[in-house]
Amino acid sequence: MLTYITRRLIQTLVVIAILSYVCFYIMTLMPGDPVEMMIASNPRITSADVARLRELYGLDQPSYVRYMNWVETVSKGDLGYSRTYKVPVTEIMGPRLWNTFVLSFWALLISIVISVPLGVYTALKPGGKLDYSLNLLSFAGISIPSFWLGILLIIIFAVTLGWFPASGTETIGFQPANFWEAMKDRAWYLFLPTISLSIQQIGRFVRFARSSMLEAMRNDYIRTAKAKGLTRNIIVWQHAFRNALIPLITVLALSLSTLFSGAILTETVFSYQGVGKLVYDSIMSNDFNVAMVSFIISVSMVLIMNLVADILYGFADPRIAYH
Amino acid sequence: MKMTFWALVGCLVLSFLNSPAALALNNDELKMGSSQEYDSLNPLVMSSMISTTLHRMTNRSLVNLDADSHWVAQLAKEIPTLENGKAKIVEIGGKKKIIAQWEILDNAKWGDGNPLTCADFAFALKVAASPNVSVGEKETYTQVEKIDFDPKTPKKCTFTYEKARWDFNRLGQFFPLPKHLEEPVFEKYGKEKEGYEKNSLYTKSPTTPGLFVGPYVYSEVKLGSHVTLTPNPYFYGPPAKIKKIILKFISNTGTMEANLVSGTIDMITTTGLKFDQAVTLDKKIQAQKLPYQVVFVPSVTYEHIDLNLNNPILKDLRVRKALVHAVNREELVKSLFDGKQQAALHFMTPKDPWYTADPKYVAIYRYSRREAQKLLDEAGWKVGADGYRFKDGKKLSLEINTTAGDKTRETVESYLQEQWKQIGIDVQIKNEVARTFFSETTRKRKFSAMSLFAWVSSPENNPRSTYASAAIPTSKNGWSGQNYTSWTNPKVDQIVDQLDIEFNAKKRVELAWELQKLYTEEIPVLPMYYRSDIAVLPAGLKNVRLTGHQFPETNEVEKWSF
Repeated sequence: MLTYITRRLIQTLVVIAILSYVCFYIMTLMPGDPVEMMIASNPRITSADVARLRELYGLDQPSYVRYMNWVETVSKGDLGYSRTYKVPVTEIMGPRLWNTFVLSFWALLISIVISVPLGVYTALKPGGKLDYSLNLLSFAGISIPSFWLGILLIIIFAVTLGWFPASGTETIGFQPANFWEAMKDRAWYLFLPTISLSIQQIGRFVRFARSSMLEAMRNDYIRTAKAKGLTRNIIVWQHAFRNALIPLITVLALSLSTLFSGAILTETVFSYQGVGKLVYDSIMSNDFNVAMVSFIISVSMVLIMNLVADILYGFADPRIAYH
Repeated sequence: MKMTFWALVGCLVLSFLNSPAALALNNDELKMGSSQEYDSLNPLVMSSMISTTLHRMTNRSLVNLDADSHWVAQLAKEIPTLENGKAKIVEIGGKKKIIAQWEILDNAKWGDGNPLTCADFAFALKVAASPNVSVGEKETYTQVEKIDFDPKTPKKCTFTYEKARWDFNRLGQFFPLPKHLEEPVFEKYGKEKEGYEKNSLYTKSPTTPGLFVGPYVYSEVKLGSHVTLTPNPYFYGPPAKIKKIILKFISNTGTMEANLVSGTIDMITTTGLKFDQAVTLDKKIQAQKLPYQVVFVPSVTYEHIDLNLNNPILKDLRVRKALVHAVNREELVKSLFDGKQQAALHFMTPKDPWYTADPKYVAIYRYSRREAQKLLDEAGWKVGADGYRFKDGKKLSLEINTTAGDKTRETVESYLQEQWKQIGIDVQIKNEVARTFFSETTRKRKFSAMSLFAWVSSPENNPRSTYASAAIPTSKNGWSGQNYTSWTNPKVDQIVDQLDIEFNAKKRVELAWELQKLYTEEIPVLPMYYRSDIAVLPAGLKNVRLTGHQFPETNEVEKWSF
């Protein structure tokens, strides 16, 4: 097992290194750079200004030189400087990553807690009224565009009822007296974006859980378990659910990998200070340092969560061995 | 696509919003919303409009362009001119230079109580001149060769200008830096590339009051979320009336409206709404008598179509004239913009003292389909069976490009396409995402015929960078310069050179008029309309005057009150 994990981790590092260069190179191919954006907003910038700024930013260098400079800086523990925000990347990424993690974590947790039991339940009584109703709601959850849902939630709960804030992450100028007050304030702002994000995920997870469980319940060993006279709870949770877990683990692991990637539309609609919008803007404005850091985080999360999923398969199904 | 998507979101919000939060605003707090985020609080390296808006709340300059487009003294006691004897032209080393005496207001102090002196301006010049600091338009600072002062009279400064230019005293973008706070940073990090700006207190500790000389200082800065401003007790002018101003950054303009109506914000700055959204919101406000006012003020932003003069069809002046004659710009602004934006005559806006609409000086092309058709006939373009024109078997077909997803521009394109079709010109629309459009298509002159976009200018600005032949971007000059049309006219080159050094105001106006004459006669560009600045103000907020130029309304923020 240890050898397997070590080998996979080394592979992960190699993949990250290769993909980081590919990503860097592709970004250099995109038209426009920060200096050109300055020219577009100020026609008085002279050719001398352009040459000076390109040299200062290192934009006059070939892509591999710029990439090596970036690697050198990162290897020293410095994630670089954001051209758009004119601050160190850590200063802007740190709080936003945390905000995104908090939002995605709660949305995922709520989704799992609600969807897995519902999926299992509907699989046990397929074709029933509840199954049809939940299927309908699941498809609705998957189909409703998140921006639409977000706006709808804002209109109902912020504008009309005034129960929750329309946007933001925390109350401006609020000085919490204790930890719980601070948590309460954060929860107040998190409620609408979390619900918006969860509704889509719940629909998706219910469908996955239902189909995995349906598949598992059709197997011969379930029939054998029933013939043996095992209780319904043991058949469902120890035999069927455990076998239904493998596809669910894959889906959940991939969902976990997005914990730090952000949800651009939800974050934008609720003006939530997450990393999704930041990454989009950084790519659009050629803010290489921010884009590269977020890219490394995303790739690492996907690869690590895949590794975690592979390890969990072994626990769910003892027939799976690691070499 | 993206813009259409957000426009839909905006429409959705507007269609639902019916119950505005009751406004109970007073001078205790004002919450503003902006869809842009600032790039830097350091005046030397900031470049975005919202940075300027914020900066004018916290900082001031020697002079300022007011809402009536007049230059007025701000941190200076008076503006030095040749006429008042505070400035003179001298010859040093065979080169004409200007020496001007600037005197800083006696009570001008930084937010920590330290006096603002000439040393702060000299220090700003020193930092801006450094090759390691990413100042955008360096000449703003380096036009001043040196700043001398006697330590006994630290508020009396002698500026020596590198060149003798008439506009030497228009130092509206020349900001002082607090030497007592920033010099140690510059000394320590100034030799590293971007070392100063990365370690400046404006970056590391922006709530330091001593960094600011304006009516407000920052009490909280939350990157990407909001900034909170409170009055600067050492401000030289009348104390700011509003006790706390919060500027929230809400990137989605649809959400911005929901925030306004739910009372999360009280007003939307000029960097908030798009034009079409503002028009819809304005109608909604009037219909439902909501306690807001959408303000539209003509700006110095000139929306136009650059013509590629290397295109064989467009080389013919008669075709260019036909294109102008065929567009009913008055109807365009009336039908598409509810008359809230003004039809353009040429590159100068009515806000500019150099502007003229006098037919004695500029060629005015009235809408006339008949005249357009006549010109095309003369140019040899004959109407074919399908209604389009042909010459030597070739169809009169032109391509127009603009930024994809800009709803207003796309609507204008469709309008123009229809108008030109009526005189037999086939116009094909080919739009691109903004970054490709600006960094490749226009900058490298890759558009085949017509390119629709805007220039932001400033009053009495020399248009050298857009119309001088030396400003035609080529691979040799690193694609610098903005003369995308490739307009080459020796007379224009001569005028733009003369404009800089002509000290006689009357003669300068004559030169500017001549330039406008050449521009309207040769039509390298099709004028469309002048854009408006837009803001949404809460009922009862007084003394907010939108300027329409790059010196925003926040220059008078201390006067704002309920």
